[in-house]
Amino acid sequence: MNSQELQEELRATIIDGDEARAAELAYESVGDPAGLPAVVQVAVDTIKLIGDRFGTGECFLPEMVLSAEAMLAFMHIASPHLEKATGKASKAGKVVLGTVQGDIHTIGKDIVLTMLSASGFDVVDMGVDASPIDVIKTAEQTRAQIIGLSALMTTSMPYQEETIALLRELGIRDKFWVMVGGGPVTVEYARRIGADGWAPDAGTAVRVCEQLLAGGAKPGSGLVTGEGRTQ
Amino acid sequence: MSIDRERVLDVLDRAHSGPAYRDRDFNVKVVAEALAASVKKYGLARTCDPENPVNRDDDLADRYYRAGFDAAVAIGLYCKNTSRVIRFNEQEVQSAIDAAPREFWLGEGNQRVLYQHRRPEDPKLPVWTVPLSIAVTEDVALPLIEGLARIAEVDALEGPSLETIWGRPVRSGSPYEHLAGYYQAQLMQEGIRRAGRVGMPVDAVGSSTTHYGVLGGFGVEGGYRPKHDLILILSIADFWTSYESLFKLTHAVVTGGSYISASSWCMLGGWAGGPEGTAVACIAYTLLLVATFQGSRTGVPPFDIQYMGNCGRRAQWAMGVANQAVSRNTNLVVHSINNQVAGPCTKMLLYETLVGMTNMAASGVSNVVGTRSAGGRLTNYLTPLEHKFGGEVYKAAAGMTREHANEIARRFVPKYEAQLPEKPNGKSFQECYDVERMVPSPEWQRMYDEVRAEAIEAGVKLK
Repeated sequence: MNSQELQEELRATIIDGDEARAAELAYESVGDPAGLPAVVQVAVDTIKLIGDRFGTGECFLPEMVLSAEAMLAFMHIASPHLEKATGKASKAGKVVLGTVQGDIHTIGKDIVLTMLSASGFDVVDMGVDASPIDVIKTAEQTRAQIIGLSALMTTSMPYQEETIALLRELGIRDKFWVMVGGGPVTVEYARRIGADGWAPDAGTAVRVCEQLLAGGAKPGSGLVTGEGRTQ
Repeated sequence: MSIDRERVLDVLDRAHSGPAYRDRDFNVKVVAEALAASVKKYGLARTCDPENPVNRDDDLADRYYRAGFDAAVAIGLYCKNTSRVIRFNEQEVQSAIDAAPREFWLGEGNQRVLYQHRRPEDPKLPVWTVPLSIAVTEDVALPLIEGLARIAEVDALEGPSLETIWGRPVRSGSPYEHLAGYYQAQLMQEGIRRAGRVGMPVDAVGSSTTHYGVLGGFGVEGGYRPKHDLILILSIADFWTSYESLFKLTHAVVTGGSYISASSWCMLGGWAGGPEGTAVACIAYTLLLVATFQGSRTGVPPFDIQYMGNCGRRAQWAMGVANQAVSRNTNLVVHSINNQVAGPCTKMLLYETLVGMTNMAASGVSNVVGTRSAGGRLTNYLTPLEHKFGGEVYKAAAGMTREHANEIARRFVPKYEAQLPEKPNGKSFQECYDVERMVPSPEWQRMYDEVRAEAIEAGVKLK
């Protein structure tokens, strides 16, 4: 299979969500280190396309998850080779992500997790009902850069604020960017509690994480909303 | 009627002995695959008709019911604490449906309310419960509860929920929530007393995100009444449940609770896929909630993750066909929720209400809880006026044909659908109401009058 054929099959494989075939194509693609960056770019473009389709309601969660898993299967094999070929880390960054304490809603967090993973982030899933201290401990242990906190209820939103307050009191506020989201979590609330990022949907959450890592600003120095930094 | 303790124990046993799954595998390999298989088996693919948001085809509704029943047996409910599935066979699901009441009374004295099974286009009056558990500040909670209870079309109360108690945030799953359950019960009773409607039933406990609020407010001295109020059990979306919900069930047993409201959501665009899979999921999940929680009032409305509401064409269609399927094929007291995204002091909120309430009334829903003003996103963004409008429309639509409800949807959905992603917030209670006199601002009153006139012109027989 030539490079063009491989790229076309990889695109179709990710869209179909065929994890096993994606792994096979990864092994095939690492045999050509010079061509590998272009193949990886096809995978990245394809998963972004899937994310866009999900955002517009043209595809649904099961398809997106299967596509993301195919993408991850491909990247798991291709990433070490890509790093050798380009000299750059292939992971976009590490995010500890969870639904906050007292809140057991999972689907919104899972969508964000899927989109972040598919976009190259290394995501540590805290699941639901994640207490502020457990989230912080995990972020420290895994050397994450970003903490993502989902809250679906007004009565669980205070735990977002408490996580940020706890980071301050422990003297480690400047170690982690904190991104918040969830149905009742408004941009005004995010700003008021001193969050670094706010996202109204999963696609924006990916952009916010990318902007936080690329922005050069320290945690606690303003809010990023996917449109840019605001004060 | 009382909750069957042996059935509760059986459910707990299943939650600890049923088949084990990883979270992801349950969602992808069980939920998504079973729903897709049911859609295929019953030829339901592409049956959603967005141009006609209210289904009028009985045969199609019945095929959806059979698909939902099959899916209920295949899927079960996933208990997140044990990673095991509470599963029932066909006979067990059917027995649970047969054991559920087709009618029951709640409340006391002259405020007693009959909750009864309705069929599509049924002239029997439905029950209107207000508001949803939208957060309010303590200073407006009591006036709002009183204002809502004063509305003649309102039969029962559920929310609002409290943002703070005695100035402290209600942290879910904490001792604050435990206190909030009790505090809210007292506020509700005082508001009802001031409105002159002592005895009115309440869905308890609106401020109980986990089980702690229910433990604090239901069946305790001065709290909600086990024989006269519904105990609310709201499970996690898309076939998940948890100890939080099971604790509410066991609390109903130990307090002598009589009637349970078992409900949840299915996400349109989530694990169920498109509108067809979502409608099947809503039916399947409804039947499983009856089997698991002995729901007397049960329902699972769709929720479109594109705009976090259900007043768009696809969600309205899924909601209508799912409600028709259950109300035509069982004797259950069907419950549903209209999820508006616009806030008070917008015509859009009233248009969303008009479309949703006529669809639900014509599709056999016995009891709607609403309104989700401003999508429930914002503190203090609800007023009595949209709840009055919702009740007027819902009651007036008893006996309405699905053809007529569909005409209303075709006429009014275009007035707001482009704004669904924008979710206009409108104005808060204090901004569009005279709180002292409990009257709407002239601007909000004018919007109500104009949309009301449009509804009458469209054939809704408002008094």
